[in-house]
Amino acid sequence: MPETIVEIKKVTKIYTLGANKIYALNKVSAKIEKGDFVTIMGSSGSGKSTLLNMLGCLDLPTSGKVLINNTDLSNLDDDGLTSLRRNNIGFIFQQFNLIQTLTAVENVEIPMIFNGASPQKRRKRALKLLQKAQLPPEYAHHKPNELSGGQQQRVAIARALANNPPILLADEPTGNLDTKTGHGVMELLRELNQAGTTVIVVTHDPRMEEYSRTTIRLQDGEIVNEDT
Amino acid sequence: MRYELFIALRHIKARKRQTILSVAAIGIAVMILMVSQAFMAGFTQEIYQTTVANLPHVVVSPQEGEDYIHLYGNIVREVNSIEGVVASSPYLIGEASFRYRDKTANAALKGVVPPEEEAVAHVSKDVIEGDFEELAYSRRGIVIGDDLARRLGLQMGDSVEVSFPNANTLSLRVIAIYDTGTPADESLIYTSLGTAQDFYGTADVINGISLRLADFNQDREVASIIREEGYRADGWTQNNPEILQTLAIERSSNQVTLGFILLIASFGVVSTLNMVVMSKLKETGILMAMGMSRSGIRLVFLLESGILGLAGAVLGALAGTVIALSVGSYPLPEGVYGISSIPVIVRPTDVFLIITVVFLLNLIAGIYPAQRAASLDPVKAISTR
Repeated sequence: MPETIVEIKKVTKIYTLGANKIYALNKVSAKIEKGDFVTIMGSSGSGKSTLLNMLGCLDLPTSGKVLINNTDLSNLDDDGLTSLRRNNIGFIFQQFNLIQTLTAVENVEIPMIFNGASPQKRRKRALKLLQKAQLPPEYAHHKPNELSGGQQQRVAIARALANNPPILLADEPTGNLDTKTGHGVMELLRELNQAGTTVIVVTHDPRMEEYSRTTIRLQDGEIVNEDT
Repeated sequence: MRYELFIALRHIKARKRQTILSVAAIGIAVMILMVSQAFMAGFTQEIYQTTVANLPHVVVSPQEGEDYIHLYGNIVREVNSIEGVVASSPYLIGEASFRYRDKTANAALKGVVPPEEEAVAHVSKDVIEGDFEELAYSRRGIVIGDDLARRLGLQMGDSVEVSFPNANTLSLRVIAIYDTGTPADESLIYTSLGTAQDFYGTADVINGISLRLADFNQDREVASIIREEGYRADGWTQNNPEILQTLAIERSSNQVTLGFILLIASFGVVSTLNMVVMSKLKETGILMAMGMSRSGIRLVFLLESGILGLAGAVLGALAGTVIALSVGSYPLPEGVYGISSIPVIVRPTDVFLIITVVFLLNLIAGIYPAQRAASLDPVKAISTR
């Protein structure tokens, strides 16, 4: 029987803007199985990024429960959330979000530093991950502003894999890339998924659906259907 | 190396200009503090050397209701045996009127035993003409301050008529002139103890004993021991409270001003760090997403504040020491200020204390921006552009 790695139960997220209450998510429930490749689709403002932030322990629901690896986020304090995020989740952002003052390899080392890896060990692993993410080795010691968009996203993917997380969350990972580079990045995510990582991608690009096994469609903060 | 320190150092290195400005602001404040502290220490020592060192550290007066100390040999022996007393000088002092040709002036006439007075008050070093010790051999001689001599038109060797109601008028010859640079130059005339006793028509009595101590800070303790013998005795801090008051006022006004300078420098650090927090919003959010804890974020900014403070304090202390010592070694024109150079003392304890206080002040100043960074919402921080 497939193992559930992520479960959301009646999750509601309300933002208050002045006197108005905005339902970013409204009683959303879903289960994601270990090793799945999920795309969360929806137009802008549908609540997909809010959902992704919750899956990444960066945000908590107003009501409902989020369980990552059977751990209920509402039972964790700030340190608990940080620890869960550090050991279970790798983030990939549309804007790459690399630290501009660090080189590619140093960016990849950052999550390993938080986990207490020794300098030699983390450098060796970071270079290996950059190679796995198909960044040409000569760019490993370049700073982000010296890399192309595709190369930066490869560094970001290598960084997301640093602590070997079981879950990879990607927020519009191809949004800032041309079609060819975008497909290259998605191919890379597919390879990682085939190696056992659960990949959850938020996108509004329907072409990305071809890479996923499960698609969650969101509209106005509600799941309209879930295709497998 | 802890990762918080690694990130803090990266931040500091990445914004060189702000780092230099922050360190310079703290450094300049510390430099001013160091120089001022060195001047204050030098000034205090100078005050002690020029005034306290020449003052009688303790003055013994007759018993309550008595005008004189009779058979003073006993009490002189007793005070000399008190631990810490290095010299004593019995004296007979009173008022007298001095007349030379058509000029008159009132002043104190102090009869002393010259070698003993010399041991207590170091009069000789202020003598500009003649010899103070000659009083011991000249029964009708006086040693007069230069200001009073000028007022009366007196020169070395001139004889002045000294009189006072109920006193025996005498003619006394100027055998030395002194210049202390203090009001004494116009109000105090030395003569031998025997001459003073002749003038006031007393037996072999005195009306005071000046004491010199090995440590002038022991004045109150020694005075209280003498009071137990039934004599009145006061330390220099009791007889001259204005010296301590002057030093206290100087020191406290100095410290208040310097405290404000340091506070301003620390506010500079707060504002710089606040700007850093604002400019690092996105990066802080990314670090949180990568698994950095809020306490780690807080520590990064506290470390930055501490490192900037420490760097500023060490550089400022170094610069301040160099400036203070250079100013202190600069020779002043002779005879104009009464000192050959500006008195400066750099005490290692001051340097250590200033560096420690500035470092701690900066750590405290860093709490607010650090707390602000640590309480950021990572989602909002990451979406900052």
